[in-house]
Amino acid sequence: MIHTENLSKTYRMGDVEVQALRDVNLEIQDGEFIAIIGPSGSGKSTLLNIIGCLDKPTSGAVFIEDIDTASLSENELAEIRREKIGFIFQQYNLVHTLNAIENVALPMFFAGVKREMRLKRAEELLVKVELGDRMYHKPAELSGGEQQRVAIARALSNDPEIIIGDEPTGNVDTEAGNLIMDILDGLNRDGKMIIVVTHDAEIAARAGRTKRMRDGRVLD
Amino acid sequence: MKDAFLLVYRNIRERKTRSILTMLGVVVGIAAVIAIMSISYGMEESITEQLSEMADLIIVRPGKMSFETGYLELGSFTDRDLEDVERIEGVKKAAGMVGGMQEVEYRGEKVMVNIAGTEPMDFGAVFGERIVKHEEGRDLRDNDRKVCEIGYSIAHDYFDYEIGVNDRLTINGSKFRVVGVLEEQGGFRSNVDSQIYVTKSDALDIFNTKDIATIFVRVKEIGDADEIANEIEERIDDNHKLDDFSTAMTMGSAVESLESIFQMLQVFLVAIGSLSLIVASLGIMNTTLMSVMERTHEIGVMKAIGAKNRNILSLFLMEAGVVSGIGGVLGGVAGVFAAKVITIYIHAAFNVEIAAIVKPEVLLGGVAVAVLVGILSGFYPARKASKLSPVEAVRYE
Ligand SMILES: Nc1ncnc2c1ncn2[C@@H]1O[C@H](COP(=O)(O)OP(=O)(O)O)[C@@H](O)[C@H]1O
Ligand SMILES: [Mg+2]
Repeated sequence: MIHTENLSKTYRMGDVEVQALRDVNLEIQDGEFIAIIGPSGSGKSTLLNIIGCLDKPTSGAVFIEDIDTASLSENELAEIRREKIGFIFQQYNLVHTLNAIENVALPMFFAGVKREMRLKRAEELLVKVELGDRMYHKPAELSGGEQQRVAIARALSNDPEIIIGDEPTGNVDTEAGNLIMDILDGLNRDGKMIIVVTHDAEIAARAGRTKRMRDGRVLD
Repeated sequence: MKDAFLLVYRNIRERKTRSILTMLGVVVGIAAVIAIMSISYGMEESITEQLSEMADLIIVRPGKMSFETGYLELGSFTDRDLEDVERIEGVKKAAGMVGGMQEVEYRGEKVMVNIAGTEPMDFGAVFGERIVKHEEGRDLRDNDRKVCEIGYSIAHDYFDYEIGVNDRLTINGSKFRVVGVLEEQGGFRSNVDSQIYVTKSDALDIFNTKDIATIFVRVKEIGDADEIANEIEERIDDNHKLDDFSTAMTMGSAVESLESIFQMLQVFLVAIGSLSLIVASLGIMNTTLMSVMERTHEIGVMKAIGAKNRNILSLFLMEAGVVSGIGGVLGGVAGVFAAKVITIYIHAAFNVEIAAIVKPEVLLGGVAVAVLVGILSGFYPARKASKLSPVEAVRYE
């Protein structure tokens, strides 16, 4: 379970302050599929980044399985990102010098998993996202949808309980987007917690629960 | 580990030109240091070898050295002087040499050459044992008459025609048959190359004298040389009833000061070589910094998917280490090659034979230094990379 307590984030750029999050209290259960929607600039990415331990709140707290993430060291946060969370970006963000299977194996490499184990699991994951025939392609040789599926496989690499997607279908066409959502659906059926941000109401409709954000607040 | 190298390798290859240029900096730096060290080891050995022939030598000349007048010859030595010197405690061997400049003719060509006459058995004492080696022919013998040995340059350079064994030279009107040609000495001993050697009795005839021009003394202990030199001067001055009749020069102290000059030169050269290594390390630092800047986004992504600071740190350190390590190995090869080329050049230009000595520990040390320099110069940028905040780095495009 993840829950936040009065989560706030203020960005300061020179004299200008932007309140990206205001007192967000949110609870997400294990195995839940939640979609967050809201206009651009409403704070969705900021929220996901803080929940995903990529960023720190200005005030308030995030608890992941009752661990207060504010109490963790940089190393421990890296371990959480590595073991408990799989993050999927809108821009895929694959390492462009590595091919698909190497990208998928990368989080396992950081976790110190043995090479044969890594490659075997990376292969399985690529088959699972229907890219068994694209394993040795570099990101530049893959379509947007394919790259995003590699990114999903990479997010699954250390078998995390939580999958976070920040507009994972934002850069791909409808067909590819549906395939991505099907994969996320399947993962949710396997018991994983899925948190996705989306603009697309149709996609949000596939989630178990939808939360709307505006001006840094999560609406009821 | 293997995958880390893969990652590093891909990144190096992606920036091929820059990696090669950085590597080249290391190659030049390491090659310079290794070449300089190998050559100076070679020089050191050849100098010590040559000087060791002279370290126990005292050269006694009739006359006085002074800064104002230069060398002032006051006469010559007698057989009695030689006998007295031989009896001095600590003297291993004393040999008299009769000689001087004399016109020598070969196939109609006349050249002034230094003639040196000693008892054949004293040859080694006078010129060092190394001189016994011949390019062609044999030593002088005690009962030889009207034959000579010639130095390398006499045989090959002095006259228009090459001179070999059994050729005849005319010295002061008499024919001398060449029985031996000495090997080239070069360096400090190049005077040996440009002399003609005859027996003492032939020399006495040539110069029509009974006098000895120079006495060569070999001492038993190099440490006693200065003391013995003083005693030699006293004895001979007594014989001739003159103050400052003779000058006895020990070569040991000359050898020492030469060696210390050489050591300073060595330090200086290695310092210059090291300077190029410092330049190379700036290159590595610059390349790694650029690599960090260009890959900020990628670093952010890696951190977002769970890389710890030390994962990032080690990737960049490895990158710097691999580039400089390859540079070090290539630099070692280039250094050995450069050392050979330079010794060939030195031989051609100065007629000094130096064999570059490539010590394995210097080669290994060079590669190790390269890797170390790479890792040290890579450390600051790598650390900078590892400390980037994941969100900010991911946002950076
Ligand atoms: N790093 C940042 N520095 C300054 N302002 C930021 C930064 N990131 C986001 N913001 C601002 O915070 C607000 C929320 O942004 P974001 O969370 O990206 O919204 P969304 O993902 O819903 O579009 C926006 O006004 C945005 O301009
Ligand atoms: Mg956003």
